[in-house]
Amino acid sequence: MNRLPDLSPDKSPLTLVEVIYSTTIREVMSTDPITVERNTPMSTVQQLMRDQGISGLPVAEQGRLFGIVSVQDLIEALQQGKLNVAVSNCMTERVVTLEEDMPLSMAISTFSKYRFGRFPVLNAAQRLTGIISVRDINVTLVNRLLQQVSKFESMFDSEVTPGIELNRVFHTRQHDFENGGKASTTIKKHLVDHHVDRSLVKRVAIASYELEMNQVVHSIGGTISYRITPEAVEILVQDRGPGIENVDQALTEGFTTANEWIKSLGFGAGLGLPNAKRVSDIFFIHSEPGVGTTVKAVVYLQPKKEEKHETE
Amino acid sequence: MTFADLIPTLHATVFVSGSEMETRPVQHVIASDLMSDVLVAHLDDFVLVTSLASDQMIRTADLVGATGVILVNDKHPPAGLTRLAKDLDIPLLGTALTKFAACLAIGKALEKGTPV
Repeated sequence: MNRLPDLSPDKSPLTLVEVIYSTTIREVMSTDPITVERNTPMSTVQQLMRDQGISGLPVAEQGRLFGIVSVQDLIEALQQGKLNVAVSNCMTERVVTLEEDMPLSMAISTFSKYRFGRFPVLNAAQRLTGIISVRDINVTLVNRLLQQVSKFESMFDSEVTPGIELNRVFHTRQHDFENGGKASTTIKKHLVDHHVDRSLVKRVAIASYELEMNQVVHSIGGTISYRITPEAVEILVQDRGPGIENVDQALTEGFTTANEWIKSLGFGAGLGLPNAKRVSDIFFIHSEPGVGTTVKAVVYLQPKKEEKHETE
Repeated sequence: MTFADLIPTLHATVFVSGSEMETRPVQHVIASDLMSDVLVAHLDDFVLVTSLASDQMIRTADLVGATGVILVNDKHPPAGLTRLAKDLDIPLLGTALTKFAACLAIGKALEKGTPV
């Protein structure tokens, strides 16, 4: 059986600690567990375990728990030819139980302490109401953490700055044409929403999109960071490789290393880098084969003396 | 001439109307399936005539500020493309005309110069 990791508060992220202390066992356990009675024959236990795919059955009558019968108990009964005897002769009587109002953290520490696969759960009146397994805990933890992650992501997305200032990083993946361009679309919308002049928006959008699609088409993935101030939009594009052999050649219109299927998607004509450079006020590129490419492009939002740089 | 004026001219189907279809002017046409070409064009108030029915085509149209898009050769846009066009508020028409015939028809309409 897989052991649960150490989830003690001092060693775990706060989000996880919050989840395991604020969730009760009642929310995690399986309710209406299949049970057997004390006089049920072990042959019925064998059948139930096989048909239902379970490895432990509480022994209970009218909600009162008398014990638990496990696969281990069944194997022993089989070895001793005791399939016809009553469960009460084979079950474990001293059962470790949990209560449904306890926090999930209690269940986790109980699982860590004992090496059982499941524990019966009782209510305040000491009646059997459920059973909890490591699987139940795993499913709950994954679901709760997914909810938390979604919450964090939506908080990040909806972080609204009242002014035009914005610092944001987007990630790209190789050949991810479905999401390629989303960063540029988002930035364009931000500028339009802040009433930036249409021709400036277009220049930022083109520089950004050309660089973003270059990353999707040619690199193995990377990041695009935007720093927007009232004065300028600064786009910093960094990928993890493969790097450009000859930067001067890549800046020549019409030079391309794109294959036919990329061209069939409408890209790879060898115009991207020169076009991004054309619309930028500052353009800087550095590339190292086997390492990656960094491009910085700046478009001024306020009138400024134009300056253009190419490579280092 | 506005983008909406092109509907009868091209016997077009309206896939996405967009909020500015009847107000934004059309003065130029860019016809291409190569988005790299669209990105280097120095034009404003243009319609994009294309047979490329991909998400990237609509993104490109949005980023360069196209007035609208005309899909030629009776191409039907996939659902995702229509959704994206709606999200980005880009009018999208479809016509059975070829790219050349569509450009010709729009050119003639522009020459007539229907006032905006």
